[in-house]
Amino acid sequence: MRKIGQMKIQQMAFMIMAVFLFFILVGLFFIGIQFKDVRGTAAQLQKDQAISSLRVIADMPELNYDSSETMTVDEDKLVVMSSNFSGAYNVFWPVASVGVYKIYPAFDSVKKCPGLGCNFYDIYDSGQSNVKTYSTYVSICKRVREEGSAFDRCEVGKLVVGVKINE
Amino acid sequence: MNKRGQQEIVGFVLIVVLVVVGLMVFLIMSLRDSPEAVESLEVENMLDALMKHTTECAIVYEPAYDDFEALFKSCHQIDQCSNLEKSACGYLNESLLSVVDAMMESEAAVSYYQVDFLVKDDIGEEGKLRISGGNCTGSVSAAQRSIVSGSDSLVIRMKVCSVLA
Repeated sequence: MRKIGQMKIQQMAFMIMAVFLFFILVGLFFIGIQFKDVRGTAAQLQKDQAISSLRVIADMPELNYDSSETMTVDEDKLVVMSSNFSGAYNVFWPVASVGVYKIYPAFDSVKKCPGLGCNFYDIYDSGQSNVKTYSTYVSICKRVREEGSAFDRCEVGKLVVGVKINE
Repeated sequence: MNKRGQQEIVGFVLIVVLVVVGLMVFLIMSLRDSPEAVESLEVENMLDALMKHTTECAIVYEPAYDDFEALFKSCHQIDQCSNLEKSACGYLNESLLSVVDAMMESEAAVSYYQVDFLVKDDIGEEGKLRISGGNCTGSVSAAQRSIVSGSDSLVIRMKVCSVLA
């Protein structure tokens, strides 16, 4: 009779432990999922914030094509800013580097502008190491004349900005 | 004997409750895991830059070239590219694919892209054109733009799957 009682107590103890472990596992699982979502949201917010900062740079009068349009850069201004003239702007840029790529047509190698078939305007590079780059799409526009008429020709471009990482 | 039966029933109910709780957790998990497109500023900028891109198609005269936004309207109105002797829809299909392809080539993290051209009316949305490439893995981001063409509303929707967050 005593042995049966002991068995019963043992059975109950095992059951309580199993239930306890089960709920711990479920809880850990749930917390894991919750934190995964929080991490994802934080990364997305950080990315959006970085892109918003890039918007500020793209909309600066030094690069902007039309003040009524955002994320549109002037190709003629890019030519000027990427030439030797850019030295005068070294203390102006609040970042480590600024560059604009022409995305279309697709390219295999980077060719610095100005030049024939070029695809990269190197506007500013402080030469700093340990830089993290952020990029976003912009329109590269230019006023061109063809067959006696002037019109705006826009291409897809990518603004790449380097930010110094503090260790 | 009666007490023992009651104990058995309580044990059974406990196990059923545990299994139901477990199943609910897995149900929530599986519902959360299905990739939902999240509106993203990055894809929005991508779509904006794409819509402003000037094409080689001039509907009326050269050099009044359409940008993609105007080309979507021209395609909907079944216009012709007068300088290329092609239909606006035919040219839109090939040029959109090549430009979007070039854009995605510059993005190492993108595993899949999809651009839909839809015509919206009172009944719903009718797909006119879809271009896509790759296999969707990772997080899904999307953006869309509405254009008015006459009395119709056109919707351009871009969906991008990225491996890295």
